[in-house]
Amino acid sequence: MGNYLRRKIFIYLITFFVAVTLDWIIPRMMPGNPVDAILIRVARMPSQEQTQILRSHLMKSFGMDVPIFEQYLNFWTGLFKGDLGVSINYFPKPVTDIIKDALPFDLLLTVPALLLSWFIGNKFGAFAARKKRMDNWVLPVWYVISAMPYLWLGILLSWTLGVNMNAFPVAGAYSFSIKPSFSWGFIVNYLHHWVLPFLSLFIVQLGGWAIGMRNMIIYELEADYSKYMETMGMPQKLIRKYAYKNAILPQVTGLAIQVGLLVTGALTTEIVFSYPGIGYLLNQAILRQDYFLIQGCFLFIIIGVLLANFAIDVIYVFIDPRIRHSVGGDAA
Amino acid sequence: MKCKNELLYFAFRNKKLVIGLTIFMAFLILALAGPLLTDFEPLDYTGMGSEPPTPQHIFGTTFFGQDVFSQFVYGLRSSFIVGFMGGGIATLAGLLIGFFAGYKGGFIDELLMMLTNVMMVIPTVALLIILAAYLPYRGVEIQSIIIGLTAWPWTARAVRSQTFSLKQREYVSLARITGFSSLKIILQEIMPNMMSYVFMVFILQFGGSILAAVALDFIGLGPTEGISLGLMMQNAVHWNAIQLGIWWWSIIPGLAITMIVGALYFMNTGLDEVFNPKLREM
Amino acid sequence: MKKAMIVVLLFSIMFGLVSFAEQYERNETLYVTGGLWGPPVNWNPALPWDAVAGTNGLVYEPLYLYDAVHDELTPWLAEGSTWLDEYTTEIKIRKGIKWSDGEPFTAEDVAFTFNLPSAVETIYYRTLFNKMSSIEATDEYTVKITFNQKMYREWNYQLYQIPMLPKHIWQDMSPEEILSTSNEKTCVGTGAYLLDTYAQDRMVWVRNDNWWAKEILGLEVAPKRVVVVVALSNNVVLGMMMKGEELDLSNDFLPGVPTIKRAYDIHTWYEGAPYMKPDATTFLFLNNTKKGLEDPEFRKAIAFAMNKDEIVKRVFEYMVLPANPLGLLPSDGWMKFYHEDIVNEFGYEYNTAKAKEILKNAGYKDVNGDGYVEGKDGQILKYEIIVPFGWTDWMESIRIVAQNLKAVGINAEAKFPDYNKYFEDLTRGDYDMALNNFGAGITNTPWTLYRWLFDVVTGDVAYNENFERYAGSAEMRELYKAFNETKDDDEAQQYMRQIQRKFLEDMPVVPLFYNGLWFAGNNGVWANWPAEGGDNQYYPNTYQGGWVLGGLMMLTKLQAK
Repeated sequence: MGNYLRRKIFIYLITFFVAVTLDWIIPRMMPGNPVDAILIRVARMPSQEQTQILRSHLMKSFGMDVPIFEQYLNFWTGLFKGDLGVSINYFPKPVTDIIKDALPFDLLLTVPALLLSWFIGNKFGAFAARKKRMDNWVLPVWYVISAMPYLWLGILLSWTLGVNMNAFPVAGAYSFSIKPSFSWGFIVNYLHHWVLPFLSLFIVQLGGWAIGMRNMIIYELEADYSKYMETMGMPQKLIRKYAYKNAILPQVTGLAIQVGLLVTGALTTEIVFSYPGIGYLLNQAILRQDYFLIQGCFLFIIIGVLLANFAIDVIYVFIDPRIRHSVGGDAA
Repeated sequence: MKCKNELLYFAFRNKKLVIGLTIFMAFLILALAGPLLTDFEPLDYTGMGSEPPTPQHIFGTTFFGQDVFSQFVYGLRSSFIVGFMGGGIATLAGLLIGFFAGYKGGFIDELLMMLTNVMMVIPTVALLIILAAYLPYRGVEIQSIIIGLTAWPWTARAVRSQTFSLKQREYVSLARITGFSSLKIILQEIMPNMMSYVFMVFILQFGGSILAAVALDFIGLGPTEGISLGLMMQNAVHWNAIQLGIWWWSIIPGLAITMIVGALYFMNTGLDEVFNPKLREM
Repeated sequence: MKKAMIVVLLFSIMFGLVSFAEQYERNETLYVTGGLWGPPVNWNPALPWDAVAGTNGLVYEPLYLYDAVHDELTPWLAEGSTWLDEYTTEIKIRKGIKWSDGEPFTAEDVAFTFNLPSAVETIYYRTLFNKMSSIEATDEYTVKITFNQKMYREWNYQLYQIPMLPKHIWQDMSPEEILSTSNEKTCVGTGAYLLDTYAQDRMVWVRNDNWWAKEILGLEVAPKRVVVVVALSNNVVLGMMMKGEELDLSNDFLPGVPTIKRAYDIHTWYEGAPYMKPDATTFLFLNNTKKGLEDPEFRKAIAFAMNKDEIVKRVFEYMVLPANPLGLLPSDGWMKFYHEDIVNEFGYEYNTAKAKEILKNAGYKDVNGDGYVEGKDGQILKYEIIVPFGWTDWMESIRIVAQNLKAVGINAEAKFPDYNKYFEDLTRGDYDMALNNFGAGITNTPWTLYRWLFDVVTGDVAYNENFERYAGSAEMRELYKAFNETKDDDEAQQYMRQIQRKFLEDMPVVPLFYNGLWFAGNNGVWANWPAEGGDNQYYPNTYQGGWVLGGLMMLTKLQAK
């Protein structure tokens, strides 16, 4: 078991190295460079000579005047010191600070949406499976709901509940008229702003999990062991409990995958509700070729996804006896 | 032959499959035949701006006076192309890699899973950006390939764990003991047991690709040529269609996507029941 | 039981901490959007392109403001200035101005600011500094600057571009620090506002109650706080505007304002079309080095083919005006140099028949019968018009341009590369046709426009000038230089006549329409918005560099309801 874990960790480290290197290379393969994009914003100084002076200054201050390989080494050295560089787009703020400020908004939005939809979706899917009325009436509605693009649902929610009925705000993480503080007024205000973006993520994901679970449960209920249990006269409740235990496995895998997909989901939600977060920053950084911010955001995504996957790998070993056996055999 | 007929019989009796397939086919036919039904080019200015549906423009016009119906049918085409190509590539790649990793195990498994993980952590947008550098004008096909090439990891992972489980089942072990080759075991023992799963995966990838394309279109990384349902929605949002009461411009593409993807989910469940006699309704 | 106890305990602790969140008084707060597209992070006036909009104007102030509506340089920190001789100007500073930390503002600060490039070599006004031979504070309120070349028009422009810096704070900063500080902690200016607070999605300015203009000019800014909202899409902005009291002023392009203006009581500069004040001329750039486009006759035919009214109607719902043949913004500062007689003689208008005739006479015929003209040597001519993907109003505009060109037999197609690609192609001269207006914004003098259009490109890349690679640019440069070097308006007119005649004869670029200063006000909380014919006649611009054009003065005229 220890051997297995050690090998896993080693593999994950290599994955990390390869992924980070790729994400370092990717932005640099784009045409042009970020400094040129800044120069157009300097239109107020009507002089070519001035533009050239600025260009060389900027190239130097962003460490882009040294050979590319050296830039790569500098990147890793910085990384080990916890220094991800300074954003070009949001100069002079360090990338780590930008991410630190934006990340909480994402986490408080996406993590509850993901976990709650997973939990409730699974429970409901398991409950609905093989129940005629549920299967024929409630689930079809969910098929439709889970087929909606996030942003479309978001826009509809924003228009109906936000603008038309005026029940919820349509922009920002908290009212533009208050300063954040640890107070009920602020918390309530924050939650009020949180509801619509949360719902647009939660509702769509809920349908997906419920459908997945429903299918899995039916599989398991029809599996030989369930039939066997049935003929043995075991209570239906117990059989379902076993089925649930087995059906949850693919759903756990799904959870890890969703962590990686969260970024895009969060991004469109952020745009639709003008909600602060890392998705929009990353999108802007890509469009403006902000190398350092792109790298920083990618790094966080990479770490997040890898940790989630590693956790799943470990959990899988514990919850799926067949794999535990297989792995044990391989490692031996 | 008998087996096939039996499947068809159950297929036609399965309500979910029939409903899903009907909706899906209706949209597919509309996408194929639609361009014949309209006199307008999707991007030409053929009417007054923001015109509600009329006999001439049955879905109304955009803010600028383009025919929404012709944008819609051409957009449907794009969505189906993305679904078939993107979904196809993703399914194929995911299946091959997942099977192989799961069956072989050991070092090959680790290597392939590493590749999978690397692909999983590189956001699709990043790949789009590089390609944009070399192909400043992207069509729907390019978008499909990119989506396909980035969407396979979850399939690979799921297939791998399925294969893992199947491998442990008695009949595979039996085959192994009797000295069958790996390929034979995969083809004869594991594959048939996963056929329904393959269908499921393809259909889900089909829907997933359509949804991914919508998201990419929306954030400005969609095709730079032609029209798609996602671009229609993006345009409608940019030009405040909902606020200005031009509902036909923003609701129709979103509704169509929801219906197509929803129909796919129906088909998916329906097919599942057809392939697995045990799952059929009692 | 234990669990319940803990929950009760937690709740009581939380209730103990309960306090009411600080909430800004609604009728003392102005909510604006348009000038901020991401988290605010920089308030450094030495990095004007990175600094949050308002850094120059609300906190730091220049010597003069430019009143873009009335075309006046308004003495601001300066009381006035005179030319002692052709090369020397003397600037008188107002007495009684204080920095927000209480230190007096003096001529020393002005001299320090203009002398800063000697220490900070890569600061943004280094080349301006190079044109000065001496800068000295002759007494506490007088600064004398001697130039080594004449540059009257440009100098007037620079007077409102460069914010004054507090010597007592900045003299202790190293050049590296000056060019890399966010200046959050040392944000001390002379202006009407101070940095209050900020977050991911907002910037909050709070009124400086000791602002000098209160006593000296009798001016007071109405809002106690100006909250700049980061809005990520105009869809959200319009939603907020429609909700009534969430947003007071938007500088975002909001399609459909004419449609919903009445229903939602949204205020615009003009009651009817064009609703918005013209802000920048959008040109169709023609790459003068490409086959066909290198011929002035061919370019002239393109000018005749442009149906500007169609763009104005279809894309902008009449929210913009079609450009005049010269592309001069309809502001007094530019239009006083507009020569009607030259336009009448050499100008053009939308006339497809005329465009076809010009093409025919110049030898461009459709030889192969594909419906499009070929080059004089029979070579196929086919063009791509580019604008960045996602710039929807421009995207629709070039679709119409392409249709216009096809209508006269020129094969052109609208294409939408990503912004980076567009920008690279434009600056390297690697395109056929493109829309652009980056350097054509409203200023005190058309000199800025002509420098941007015609400066001679020295390297392979031109970031801010002559995207069209005009062959006559050397000649044009002599003319606009001469224009810059004369104080005499009659003489200046002569140079302008020559530039404009040459422009119309050669048609290196084709002006299409004026991008508007998108301004929508909400009548819910604040009244007396800037309007044509009203009492508040100030340019409602809250963009970077916009507060000094009228944004600040607008605040002095607003009234809470």
